[in-house]
Amino acid sequence: MSTRIAIKAEGLGKRYRVGANAGRHNSLRDVIVEKAAALFRRGPDPNTVFWALRDVSFEIARGENVGVIGLNGAGKSTLLKLLSRITEPTAGRARIGGRVGALLEVGTGFSGELTGRENTFLYGSILGMSRAEIARKYDAIVEFAGIEKFMDTPVKRYSSGMYVRLAFSVAAHLEPDVLLLDEVLAVGDLAFQHKCLDFARRLQEREATVLFVSHSMHSIKSMCPRVIYMRKGQLTYDGPTDEGIRLYEQDSRLSTLALAEGSSKDWPVVVNSVGITGADGAEKTIFEHGERLRLRLSYETREPLVDPNFIVAFIRSDGVACCNFSTEVDGTSPGRIDGHGVLELVTPPLRLVSDMYQVHVLVRGKGFDQVLSSQVAGTFHVRHALFDRHFGVFHEPGKFTWNPDASDSVIQLPAARPASGG
Amino acid sequence: MNTAQDIEIRPRHGLLNLDYSGVWRYRELMWTLAMRDVRLRYKQAALGIAWAVIQPAFAVLIFTLIFGRFAKIPTGGTPYPLFAFAAILPWTYFSEALRRSATSLVTDGELVRKVYFPRLVMPLSGVISPAVDFLFAFLVFLCMLVWYHMGLSWKVVTLPLFLGYALLAALSIGLWLAPLNVRFRDVTHTMPFLIQVWMYASPIVYSLDIVPEQWRTLFSLNPMVGVIEGFRWALLDKPSPDWHVIGVGSAVMVAMLLGGLAYFRRAESTLADVI
Repeated sequence: MSTRIAIKAEGLGKRYRVGANAGRHNSLRDVIVEKAAALFRRGPDPNTVFWALRDVSFEIARGENVGVIGLNGAGKSTLLKLLSRITEPTAGRARIGGRVGALLEVGTGFSGELTGRENTFLYGSILGMSRAEIARKYDAIVEFAGIEKFMDTPVKRYSSGMYVRLAFSVAAHLEPDVLLLDEVLAVGDLAFQHKCLDFARRLQEREATVLFVSHSMHSIKSMCPRVIYMRKGQLTYDGPTDEGIRLYEQDSRLSTLALAEGSSKDWPVVVNSVGITGADGAEKTIFEHGERLRLRLSYETREPLVDPNFIVAFIRSDGVACCNFSTEVDGTSPGRIDGHGVLELVTPPLRLVSDMYQVHVLVRGKGFDQVLSSQVAGTFHVRHALFDRHFGVFHEPGKFTWNPDASDSVIQLPAARPASGG
Repeated sequence: MNTAQDIEIRPRHGLLNLDYSGVWRYRELMWTLAMRDVRLRYKQAALGIAWAVIQPAFAVLIFTLIFGRFAKIPTGGTPYPLFAFAAILPWTYFSEALRRSATSLVTDGELVRKVYFPRLVMPLSGVISPAVDFLFAFLVFLCMLVWYHMGLSWKVVTLPLFLGYALLAALSIGLWLAPLNVRFRDVTHTMPFLIQVWMYASPIVYSLDIVPEQWRTLFSLNPMVGVIEGFRWALLDKPSPDWHVIGVGSAVMVAMLLGGLAYFRRAESTLADVI
């Protein structure tokens, strides 16, 4: 294999049988019944066959960072499982040059009863390091995790943060040529995340190849210049990240709107399409912190409505409702609407922190009384180098006054009164 | 720095194509997992490693009382406790090795789902870890020999051979049961029953001499008969094991082992999907 190519997949496919193997713990009885039924069939029942991955081919050069994106169930994790050899492909083949490190989860195999030191050796060997190698890197691992004092404590007494840090630290010292990552970088606090980014940078310096599965378009964008976009088990796009993310956003918007439509049969008003653009009207889904967002939604009413209240809500990926824009609260009233129409919203500069946000569109009656429609209309991302979920929900600069000499301005808190003894 | 080696991923064919070089590369993991099991077993027990001794010692005590004193089973002149202990040593090892290898894939299901390494490492580490207990129990056996003023002959050097035989016998069944257990948890429930029946089908509390001639052939299908006879021969200077019994037993064991490897290999490729 050419030394330039790190991963080469040719027609990779993975078939699952749903039905016979669907239950995780089959009972013997079920299988006997199934086998007896199969005696009267010829060949595998086509209804029970499902290709989680089909005919996937690509090539990744040494030192490349490639993101794998797609909706849930698109085959991203299956691809990673095949490349990391956790499960075998049904068809096709792949070649990987060099040492593979696969992190589908941090800390698999940790044992609560064992000490941090024992777990370091255990987890290291599980990941494929030799004992000599772990012993050589031991000090560096402990230092990276920052838990020197607790290495002789059983890890069941660790906080979840310490646990993850130790596990990740061991994994980070694997020094693979090809690293397969499944959303594991999003762990730990801010300081530790910076360490992880340093780790990713160090890998790049070493010309390591990274294949990175994530739902966070922000992480994908900051790490990978190239993405592979999967749809229903097939590779549908392979190229520059911006275009791939655009396809992904488009599909996720379509799928969410379609989802809402199914249950919206009786609603008096339905939102047919939503366009998310920048203030200039150019379609985009990644916004810098402080940019304005323009949202254009077209609706259709099934009956005339008087003063409906259109609400646009931004919900962060962890479920926090961050803000609402409402026609009623924000002081516009459409009056009487009937049939097709378009509503446009330009937000103030978005000071939200760096994350992914879902746009929900709600239509209520006047005075917030009944719900006339409720739909998920798409997603967008906000980007900022520093502000993230750990920082808060939004950031507006506060006004500080610096006055070191004025000691009398300190507010005296009233001393707590002792509780009266009844 | 790294031993860069290309990895080929594709559907594998062939019955015994089990990636043995991969197993060799991961031999340290096999060892680490075995030592983890030893540590875990004794870490939280107040008596710690003493359990490795107490369990077989109690079996010896009870067997001596019931089968030695009450039932008066003939031992050919050997004190019953020694007679029983010489068989309980390999039997305790074998039953524990069988149980551990058979449940290895399910116990560490998380590893099967999330990390790659040759799965053969797991049942292998399962048959290795009880060897530590065996060593401790063996020390107690040596003390008992001193107590009874008995010595050891040169034959003791053959003991590792019989222990290896027991290891392969446990593995040969474990390889069948481990993947089967992934699909049918019934296996876990069947284990205590299987081990108990097997124990009485092996000459542990009795000697092979009291087994009627017409039953001997059936007995020789059980590889543990050869192991136990071998232990008594090597440790207690009993008559040498019947080579016919050992021959038949090993043939059965080798057949089960090869079949087990083929079955394990077939199941291995889809373990992560069904576990």
